[in-house]
Amino acid sequence: MDFEENIKVAIRGLIDHKFRSFLTMLGIIFGVASVIAMLSIGEGAKRQAIAKYQDLGVNNIIVRDKELSNEELEEVRAKFSLGLSLNDAYVIKEIVPGVVDVAPQAEKNSEIRYADKSSKSTLIGITPSFIKILNYEADKGTFINEDHSERNLKVCVLGAGVVKTLFQNQDPIGKMVKIDDQWLEVVGVMKAKALFTETVGELASRDLNNDVYVPLSTFHKRFEFDNKLTSEIKQITIKVDNSDQLVETAGLVRGILDRHHYNNDDFSIVIPFELLKQEEKERRIYNFLLGAIAAISLIVGGIGIMNIMMATVMERTREIGIRRAIGARKSDIMSQFVTEAVAISITGGIIGVFLGVSLSLGISLLTDVSTLIRVYSIIIAFGFSVIVGISFGYLPAKNAANLKPIESIRYE
Amino acid sequence: MLIEIKNLTKDYLMGEVKVPALKGIDLKIKKNEYVAIMGPSGSGKSTLMNILGCLDTPTSGQYLFNKMDVSQLNDDELSAMRNREIGFIFQSFNLLPRMSSLHNVEMPLIYAGVNKYERRKQSVKALERVGLAERMMHKPAELSGGQRQRVAVARALVTNPGILLADEPTGALDSKTGLEIMQLFDELHHEGNTIILITHEKEIAEYAHRTILLKDGMIFSDLQKNLNSKIEKQTP
Ligand SMILES: Nc1ncnc2c1ncn2[C@@H]1O[C@H](COP(=O)(O)OP(=O)(O)OP(=O)(O)O)[C@@H](O)[C@H]1O
Ligand SMILES: [Mg+2]
Repeated sequence: MDFEENIKVAIRGLIDHKFRSFLTMLGIIFGVASVIAMLSIGEGAKRQAIAKYQDLGVNNIIVRDKELSNEELEEVRAKFSLGLSLNDAYVIKEIVPGVVDVAPQAEKNSEIRYADKSSKSTLIGITPSFIKILNYEADKGTFINEDHSERNLKVCVLGAGVVKTLFQNQDPIGKMVKIDDQWLEVVGVMKAKALFTETVGELASRDLNNDVYVPLSTFHKRFEFDNKLTSEIKQITIKVDNSDQLVETAGLVRGILDRHHYNNDDFSIVIPFELLKQEEKERRIYNFLLGAIAAISLIVGGIGIMNIMMATVMERTREIGIRRAIGARKSDIMSQFVTEAVAISITGGIIGVFLGVSLSLGISLLTDVSTLIRVYSIIIAFGFSVIVGISFGYLPAKNAANLKPIESIRYE
Repeated sequence: MLIEIKNLTKDYLMGEVKVPALKGIDLKIKKNEYVAIMGPSGSGKSTLMNILGCLDTPTSGQYLFNKMDVSQLNDDELSAMRNREIGFIFQSFNLLPRMSSLHNVEMPLIYAGVNKYERRKQSVKALERVGLAERMMHKPAELSGGQRQRVAVARALVTNPGILLADEPTGALDSKTGLEIMQLFDELHHEGNTIILITHEKEIAEYAHRTILLKDGMIFSDLQKNLNSKIEKQTP
C-alpha cells in the first residue's frame, strides 16, 4: 500500500478523533517539552560556568595568600615566612618551565572619594602583565602600562561600579580622585564584568566592578597596609603555555613556594581549568539524571500511545478484516498502524518542541536560572518521540496484522 | 476448470469440541458459470464460501484455483489472491464507513499498487457500471441499502477478478431492491463473469444456471438449470 494513503488515513484518524488524539499525545508533549527544558537548563549552567572560568583564565594557575588571623600571622612570621612576595613571583617565572608570564597583585580595602561621593573598593596594585594574563579590557582610556609602573605614577583605573557610584554620567577620565589619603588621576575605566557572585575554589566571591587598579609600584610606595604583617603580595596569577601541564606546573610551584615559605601553610593554589573540569563532571551526572527523568516521561507517553493503539485495534477489528478481505497484506496493516502511532507521536513531538522552547524562554525570563536552547536538544527530543512512536506502535500494529481475516470480519 | 475442490472438510474447534461444518465436499466450477448455493441454516454454505474466497483455510482436502493449489500459498500470496482473483460481496456490505464510495472502490487497487490516476479511472468506471456515478462522493451512511450493496459490487468488480462470490447479497435488502441487485448479477454474468452466490430464496436462485444444495456439511444435490436434470447427486 502506498505511503501517501497511509499518511492520509493516519491524519484523517487524528482529525476525526481530535480530543482522544490530544489525550494520547499528552505524554509525548510533556516528555518532549521536559527533555528540551531540562537540556536547556543544563546548557545554560554550562555557559555560565564557562564564562566564569574564562574570566580567571583557562591557562592560569592562581596562587593566593591565605586569610590568616593576627595570631596565625604572627606565628607564621616567627617561623620565617614572609608570605607571598614579589620575589616569589619572580622566582616562579624564572625557574618553572612552561610559565609564560606571571602577574603579582597586592590588595587593600580602601575608600575612594570624588567630590562629595565615596565608595568602598578593593584597591589592587598590578603590573602591566596583568592585562596580558587575564581577560580584562579598558572601556575608556588606557589600562595600567609600563610607563605608569616604571615612573610610579599616581594613576588609577576604575571598575564600572565605582564609576557609576562616583561619576554617574560624567566622564571620569582625567579627573582626580582621593583614595585613602592619596590623590590619583583616573586614566581608564573598565568594562562592566559579570558579577562574580560564586566562590570558585578558595577564591572568595566579590564584585569585580568595585575594584580600582593602580600600578603595583605606586601601591607599595603610596599606600600602607593596616596590618604591618600583611604579605607584600596577595595573589600571583601564573600563565602556563599548555593547559595539559597545569597540574604538574602547579605541583612545581607548590614545591618552590613551600621551600621559600619554610613549609608554612600560608598560601593556596587554585587551578580554574581543573575546577571547571570538575564542575563539568558533576554537572554531567546531574544533567544525565535530569535527562533520564525526562526520558522516562517520554516512555510513559509511549505507553500511553500503546494503550490507546491497543484499544483502537480492538475497536477497528472489523475494518482490519475488511481490508484483509479485499487484499491487504499483513505488512500493509502493520505499516498503517505504525504510521498512525508515528503520526500521533510526531504531532505530539512538534507541540512538545514548542512547549519546551517556551518553557525554557519562560524560565530564563521569570527566574534567575539561565537557559540555553541548542539545536541538538530539539533534535534529540523530537527524534526520541519518533522512536517512541515506532516502538510503542509496533506491538499494537503487529496485533492488528496478525488478526485472522475471517475472524476479524465477523467481529461485532 | 476454474475451481476444483476435492474431499474438502472443515472442522471448527469450540474449546475442546470439534464441530464439523464441511464433511467432504467435491466440486468443480467452470469459467463463466453462475452457481447458486442453497441449503438450510447451519448447513455450511458460508463456511464453504469463505474457503473459496481464501478468507479461511480448510481442515483437509484440496482446493485448486486455476490449477493452483491454494493450500500451498503463504499469507501474502493469499492476500494477493483475494485482491486479484476474488471479488467478495457480503450480506452486510462491509464498506469502510469513513470513506466515500469512490475511496471504498479504490481500496483493492491501492493494495494492488495501482497508481493514483489509473485507480481513479477504473473505480469511476466500476461505479458507473453499477449505476452509482453520481453518488461517488457519498459515504456509506448517506446511501440506501441497495446503493451500498452496489458500491460493494463495484468494489468487487474493480480488479477484474476471476470470480465473484456473494454470501446472501440480498439478505439485508427488501425484495424489490434485492431483485435489482439480482438483475445486476445477471448482467455481470452475461458480460462474462463467473458468479457463485448463496441464497435462501428460491426466486433468487432462479437467476443462477446451476443450484447446489448443501445439507449438514455435504452436497445434497447439484442441478443444472438449462438441462433441467440432475448432473450429480450425493445422498447423505
Ligand atoms: N466460527 C465458528 N466457530 C464455531 N462454529 C462455527 C463457526 N462458524 C460456523 N460454525 C458452525 O459451522 C456450521 C456451519 O456454519 P455456516 O455459517 O457455514 O452455515 P450457513 O449455511 O452459512 O448458515 P446460515 O444460512 O445461517 O448463514 C454451523 O453449525 C455453525 O454453528
Ligand atoms: Mg451463512
